[in-house]
Amino acid sequence: MESQAAADYVLALAREHRLPDVDLLVTGEERLTLRVNRGRVEKVDQSTAQGLGVRVVRDGRTGVAFTERFEQGSLEKAFLAAKENAQLQDPTDVLLADPPPAVPDPEGLGLYSPTLDALNAEQLAAFALEAEAAARDADRRVTAIPHLSVSRESGWYEVASTHGVKYRQRSNAVGAFCQVLLEERGQRKSGNASWARREWRPEAARELGRLATSRGAALLGARPLPGGKLPVVLDEYSAPGLLGMYFGAFSGEAAQKGQSRLKGKLGEPIAVEAVTLVDEPHRIGGPGSRFVDAEGVPTRTLPLIERGRFAHFLYHIESARKDGRSSTGHAGRGYSSGITTRSHNLVMPPGPHSLEALTALEPRCLLVTELEGGAGCNPLSGDISIGVQGFLVEQGRRVQPVDAVTIAGNAFDLLRDIRALGSEYQPNLSRLFIPPLLVQGMALSG
Amino acid sequence: MLPPDLLKPSTVHNLLELGLTRGADFAEVFAEDSESSSIDLLDRKIDSIGSGNSFGVGVRLLYGDEAYYGYSSDAEEAALLKLTENLAQAHREHRPGQPSPFRQESVPDRHAVRVDPESVPKRERVDLLRRLDERVRRHGEAITQVGASVSEKKRAVLIANSEGLWVEDGRQYSRIRVSAIAEKGAGPQVGVESPGVLGGYEFFAELDLEKLSESAAGSALLMAGAGYIDGGTMPVVLGNGFGGVIFHEACGHPLETEAIRKQASPFAGKLGQPVAQPILTAIDDGTLEHRWGSLNVDDEGLPAQRTVLIENGILRNYLSDRIGARQAGVPRSGSARRESYRFAPVSRMRNTYIDRGPHTVADMIASIDFGLYAKKMGGGSVDPATGEFNFAVQEGYAIRKGKIAEPVRGATLIGKGHEVLPLISMIGSDLELSAGMCGASSGWVPTTVGQPTLKIDRILVGGR
Repeated sequence: MESQAAADYVLALAREHRLPDVDLLVTGEERLTLRVNRGRVEKVDQSTAQGLGVRVVRDGRTGVAFTERFEQGSLEKAFLAAKENAQLQDPTDVLLADPPPAVPDPEGLGLYSPTLDALNAEQLAAFALEAEAAARDADRRVTAIPHLSVSRESGWYEVASTHGVKYRQRSNAVGAFCQVLLEERGQRKSGNASWARREWRPEAARELGRLATSRGAALLGARPLPGGKLPVVLDEYSAPGLLGMYFGAFSGEAAQKGQSRLKGKLGEPIAVEAVTLVDEPHRIGGPGSRFVDAEGVPTRTLPLIERGRFAHFLYHIESARKDGRSSTGHAGRGYSSGITTRSHNLVMPPGPHSLEALTALEPRCLLVTELEGGAGCNPLSGDISIGVQGFLVEQGRRVQPVDAVTIAGNAFDLLRDIRALGSEYQPNLSRLFIPPLLVQGMALSG
Repeated sequence: MLPPDLLKPSTVHNLLELGLTRGADFAEVFAEDSESSSIDLLDRKIDSIGSGNSFGVGVRLLYGDEAYYGYSSDAEEAALLKLTENLAQAHREHRPGQPSPFRQESVPDRHAVRVDPESVPKRERVDLLRRLDERVRRHGEAITQVGASVSEKKRAVLIANSEGLWVEDGRQYSRIRVSAIAEKGAGPQVGVESPGVLGGYEFFAELDLEKLSESAAGSALLMAGAGYIDGGTMPVVLGNGFGGVIFHEACGHPLETEAIRKQASPFAGKLGQPVAQPILTAIDDGTLEHRWGSLNVDDEGLPAQRTVLIENGILRNYLSDRIGARQAGVPRSGSARRESYRFAPVSRMRNTYIDRGPHTVADMIASIDFGLYAKKMGGGSVDPATGEFNFAVQEGYAIRKGKIAEPVRGATLIGKGHEVLPLISMIGSDLELSAGMCGASSGWVPTTVGQPTLKIDRILVGGR
């Protein structure tokens, strides 16, 4: 059956079973992805997917279940499983939300562009082939293009409950990723570039290919740096990449469960005064924008750090009640999972410096342009230990690409050691709006 | 097995036939019906209980080396025919085509379930988690938080193709995870254990809870009291079991034909050449009974195999799927895998390990004046094209003058797989395998990593 009918059917089951506290999330997505290799399309993936997750609250206990099949038997099975699961959970304090009084039209959030859904495989293939050719032609040291894909995706979700909540929004996007491999004197370097937008711009293909190649080419000749302390500039990609691993600490639920280092620090300074961090759920075009969260609670702009001071935790209904507060509208949910705490669009207002000017504020610094995985970064303790690629910069001039270098420190110390903020966010669709940062006090190993 | 009413043989035949008549050289149908469930305990409470059903059908058409893949959760024949028609749209050439008649391949089940999970009430799992929580907390007040979860998944899959293959397989996965947080004033540290098997509830029933809790709590407590290591290049003794994650990431991925076929691997063109010292033999074995990364058949329907990757230091084989094998000019190794019907299969690892060697751990430690003993590894990542990797050490110790000295935290190992491999100079006999999840272009699949304790002569250690 159609998704709308599936949602209605599950809510009707709830009424039939005299369960007044049931909510659900239904999602659907459509995706078209192409990969090219050596001037030819090598893979086309085309898909439609759907899922329905139901939550039953019964005597203060919660159970969840999901299904990807929207026919009566499967929907009923999922509903009954959620009901059964609720019997074994320890009691919680969830009271489902009543419908918000007035919700603006989510189309006003600018998350959906009708023209993107019309893009066909030929258009995506032309983009990918042009990007590949541009990447290859940009430098004679290119030896392979291990990955070049272009995709468009379109999705929607609906939150509904027995309390009368009903909220649906849709979004779409187009994106491409290019990885180029270059080799010189036995040294191999990858250059990566991605492009993710809500507007179709075929001319971006050549820019993407050239950018990936130029990034890899700039790293050829990289050498290790001697260990020690050196100021570090995280560029507009690596700053959100690194800090984003630690933002789970703003979850009220994490603090309640002893999993946040920010526990007990409300109102205290946790960052330099120049740092403010705000969650903006209504930012036009922001990929995390929404008027209502996954529990049907209205969202609102909420400062997390105000001029260096820790201002607010993020709450969903259950964690808020535990602290005697109201939900801040930060419930997140996938159809196959339960409720989690989720920020929407985290925005750190930028500073005055271009990236170049930022690196010139110190006589000598390490400019980080690429992070190599986050396994050494511990979201709980804040420990940072991560391999990076980038450049040694002296007097504002890039003097040497570096590799086999790690930076180490603590994310919560890092917020206090920010010396200056850059002026630009990275241009791709992202829920993190964090500018480049100049940070002191990090340890380098090389 | 897939419920018979979900997808009729005639529907599968019609899909394959449509693919061939639209010019494909090869057509394949992958159908999956999965039941999953999980129970999480956190902060002494049963925090969440969930379950669900995933169902979908994936259709793949190959035109030479071009692959077209699509999927749908709608099992109606009309919907699937439309999906197949859409996939074939780019190729307008029509020709008569008839799939070979299906031959049912029966697969011996090496990983038979002894205790059917459905026969055990959920309450038993809840009790198990509570017992585990209590045992971890027995390690003292410095243990400030405990999390534990049980997750189970039963996958029924069907793979049929235009060459007449029809094979069905059932895969029951069972896994438990425990995490302990310890705090001694210098910031919290986590110790984690997460064993798992391709098997039934017997895994939970036979678990050694004492050992599991000791391992997670012990690691967290040690690291909570540890100082930071001074980074630099030094010899490293890499612990057994999950230490094999480095070989998995830095050598295993670049040995998959997905990287080889594009010449995007440091190991491309190196078959038959020495890539490590003669003491090193490395194997990827999909046949090991009940191991987390094992399979009866791969996701292209080929029986699982044992593949020797490196033999006495010489590179012998790559891990391949149908397309990768053809493009790289190597045999298929039964390594085509996918997370679910939402992914087309590609070459992936199964149970990958470095085989036993002649040395003892004591010999390795004694041979080092100053270095790192990375007893337990955390996660990591690699760029298969360059071999550059980055791994966290979960539990580490300094080695001073041939002896294991103080515990150290915050260490990271950095290097390039093909450069580090020849620097493995000593290998122990204490081979252990350890379960993990591996993410790549065909999604997250269960894999096992493993090795005996081994010594790397020099590697960059990130620290403070």
